Amino acid sequence: MRISLFHGNGGKQTRKLIEEVFLKHFKQSGPLEDAAYLTVPSRQIATTTDSFVINPLFFPGGDIGKLSICGTVNDLVVSGAEPLYITAGFVIEEGFSIDNLNKIAQSMAEEAEKNRIKIVAGDTKVVERGKADGVYINTTGIGTVKRRFSVEDVHPGDAVIITGPIGEHGLCVLIEREQLEVESPVKSDCESLYPLISPLFEIPQVKWMRDPTRGGLATVCLELCEDTGLGMVLFEEKIPVREEVQFLCEMLGFDPLYLANEGRALIVASKEKADEIVELLRKHPSGKKAGVIGHITDEFRGVKLITEIKGERFLDYFEEDPLPRIC
Amino acid sequence: MTILKKTRFQEYADPSEIIRLINKLNTPSQSVRIMNVCGSHEHTICRSGIRSLLPRNIELIPGPGCPVCVTPEEDIINAVEISNRNGMVLATYGDMVRVPTQAGSIREKAKNLKIISSCHEALTTAKDKPVLFLSIGFETTAAPAASLFRMGPPSQFYFLSSHKLTKAAMKALCEDEEVGVDAFIAPGHVSTITGSREWEELSQNYGIPVVIAGFGAEDILSSIALILFMLKTHNPKTENVYKGVVKKEGNIRAQKLMKEVFDITDTRWRGLGTIENSGLELKDSLSPHNARSSFQWERIDDEDGLCRCKDVIMGKAYPHQCPLFKKACTPHTPKGACMVSREGACNIWFRFGRW
Repeated sequence: MRISLFHGNGGKQTRKLIEEVFLKHFKQSGPLEDAAYLTVPSRQIATTTDSFVINPLFFPGGDIGKLSICGTVNDLVVSGAEPLYITAGFVIEEGFSIDNLNKIAQSMAEEAEKNRIKIVAGDTKVVERGKADGVYINTTGIGTVKRRFSVEDVHPGDAVIITGPIGEHGLCVLIEREQLEVESPVKSDCESLYPLISPLFEIPQVKWMRDPTRGGLATVCLELCEDTGLGMVLFEEKIPVREEVQFLCEMLGFDPLYLANEGRALIVASKEKADEIVELLRKHPSGKKAGVIGHITDEFRGVKLITEIKGERFLDYFEEDPLPRIC
Repeated sequence: MTILKKTRFQEYADPSEIIRLINKLNTPSQSVRIMNVCGSHEHTICRSGIRSLLPRNIELIPGPGCPVCVTPEEDIINAVEISNRNGMVLATYGDMVRVPTQAGSIREKAKNLKIISSCHEALTTAKDKPVLFLSIGFETTAAPAASLFRMGPPSQFYFLSSHKLTKAAMKALCEDEEVGVDAFIAPGHVSTITGSREWEELSQNYGIPVVIAGFGAEDILSSIALILFMLKTHNPKTENVYKGVVKKEGNIRAQKLMKEVFDITDTRWRGLGTIENSGLELKDSLSPHNARSSFQWERIDDEDGLCRCKDVIMGKAYPHQCPLFKKACTPHTPKGACMVSREGACNIWFRFGRW
């Protein structure tokens, strides 16, 4: 079965699609209202929205459905919020397989359940063949604020921590898209950060965090330095990169520092607490490779990389988009 | 000097040990200008931040190491004109199509374009349609291009050779006092074809050290130490620290193939002008396939405007000394050839940040 323009006309077919695909997986029932009523446990809520246009829709380690939940959840988490609710808007191309739509909705439901969040509102639109590429998803997340992070708390001497190996999502998507034959497949790191990161909300010495998605680790570090007017020193040998990722990047001419991640966080914390934080992260299966990769300084502005041979170079924004449509 | 005697497979040579040696061999009052002529060497130098580890008097200069950068506008514009006029497919490599010229780029102007990743694709295309193949590169790509003529190309296959010989450019740079090269790091890949003996003429005639290096940071550092040692002992030679890969005589089969197909000729280099015996042209026996002699050819001079690619290729300026670098000229909007290819010095400097 395939999606037709009738599925998007707001009539009987639309309702059927919503009931048989989305409501079934999202375990919602009852009348379809125009808005959802929500209860939040605190007066301080955080909200974020993100659209997902990734190509290909299915990739090792995830699909657009999982990504659309994780991406929005992670934006809430690195802002110190506990995710509670999520909404989902779909733009579907005429002719798209309903089987694939089911798979995507199922991934979304599974990921939402894992994170104990509810998919509370949705929208479905269908556009003519050729006017979209399969399916696009927009998700908006709402969370309750547990901690507020601010770049103003970032000071010289603070440690910079990464929660895991970098570059995997970007490289995985590239390999899938270009159908490159590689011996050891690279899996996307696409994953919700909530279980790994939420214990850090309790630690006052944790000052700031961000998930290095598009533009990779380098771009997030550059943005932090721009926002704080401070500098950062990163040690290449301390930045975890899986061997196969390093090898393929060298072969294909990519720099893992600029490749997207979908399940990693960059954390700035007081130096004296850094080792303890790393220990805590390493106890979780997703944080086994966590480590301190550098520190904040006021000796210069920008991001200085100390290379493996102890040479120095300053990182800069990447102007070319090495990989469009990775999330 | 024992650490330099280890071959390229010197996984255990500690870079800090080589840097200590460099400092020991260095004469701070004496400026040393070491030129590399291979984009991959410049890549390693920038990526590893090697310049930041060296004493200030030692300069590492990127030279004409990118084949895309040295292809003159004349060849590009004529390739477009001839292919458009004669209803041919213009086949060439991906980077070439973005090189800006006074008449636009190939991507903008060619009516029928085929981007290839191997020269054999150009030949395959010529089975169905007339093709003009703009073939560029140093010895490493000239050898496979020569092999096309052993495969009996169809009469509608036209070859435009923009192939260049590395040593000829290095000689020209030795003779240019303004450049002032004190030593060369010779290209590893090219040397696999030419052999290490190719460069001996440079150390003998011009009295400058030449070291053939692999592509690791340690390879480059070892080459610098070896160069300083030769300068200090006034004993300039051609040394090979890429021994497992580069032989003295090179790849004899490839050399034979090139001799069979090409004659050595004077040719124009973007940035460097015409250099005697520096190019490869199809032999007269293959002239029915030669695009340059088979069609009307227009003589065109390079026009660089504010772009300083010419000086960058010659080693007279670093990329960041060009007024357009990182401003009007980026990999997305290249104004000069050196910003287009990932082997070009400006593109490499752009990607690996500032220092």
